[in-house]
Amino acid sequence: MSDLIHYEDLPVGTVIDCGARHVSREEIIAFAEEFDPQPHHLDDAAANASMLKGLSASGWHTCAIMMKLMAENLAVKSASMGSPGIEEMRWMRPVRPGDTISLKGTVLSARVSKSRPEMGLVEIDWNISSEREQVASMRAIGLYGVRHPGKTR
Amino acid sequence: MYWEDIELGLRSDLGSYTFTEDEMIRFSRMWDPQPFHIDPEAAKSSFYGGIIASGWHVAAVWMKLMIAHGRKRAAEGIVSRGGVSPGFREMRWHQPTRPGMTLHYDSTTHEKVELKSRPEMGLIRSFNRGLDDAGKPVMSFIGQGFVQRRPK
Repeated sequence: MSDLIHYEDLPVGTVIDCGARHVSREEIIAFAEEFDPQPHHLDDAAANASMLKGLSASGWHTCAIMMKLMAENLAVKSASMGSPGIEEMRWMRPVRPGDTISLKGTVLSARVSKSRPEMGLVEIDWNISSEREQVASMRAIGLYGVRHPGKTR
Repeated sequence: MYWEDIELGLRSDLGSYTFTEDEMIRFSRMWDPQPFHIDPEAAKSSFYGGIIASGWHVAAVWMKLMIAHGRKRAAEGIVSRGGVSPGFREMRWHQPTRPGMTLHYDSTTHEKVELKSRPEMGLIRSFNRGLDDAGKPVMSFIGQGFVQRRPK
């Protein structure tokens, strides 16, 4: 198990590159039809007339893309124990059909749980960007297994 | 309904949703492929002791029910003049969502913010929850939405 990324491998300042994913128009519409069927996620004419001035992905779709990149590039390669929640998610700019969304994280703080010394709490600032600009940011705590419980703070 | 018309402290019941194991696995295979979300055998030996829904699935269903609620209100003549959100805060997954669990969702308006940079819009913050059958929280977060101001 020690080849997996553990709490000890994620000290403050660590930068984590989780790769990128292309977002198609079909995927934007399919996600919105299932979970967020608002006109600005489904229909060009309605989207052009909206505050977002064009078809854009649901913010929850952006979260799902972020999670997929994080799961495939960090969580399954690590002793991840999930997450108790998200401090803040900011949807800053629309995600458009054809965008390639990349995910990078920087560790802000890290500590071992007082009640469960086998679990570490790692706070990460995530930057979600298209080729053009940052589209979202997220600050969240992830739970990671401690490689040497009792010997690590 | 303009920003000015929205009453604070108003709780909307958004209805209930039952998470089946098949649907949980389908969502997570696509968006959150961690063993405790997609592999019943691996999930048994995980921290969670069995398959659990992706927290993002639990949250996306809140959105789905919120839109359905808005449509029902629109059919009754109460049309919301909003829909775009700058994000959310304090998302908490209080307990795992396991196969067969039914969550009961609601949304309560709790803060109105004027926007200096966008005088034609106001921000509404709401406290949103998904509860289990016993009324205990499974998920909660503070949502935000831009709503049009009443034209002067």
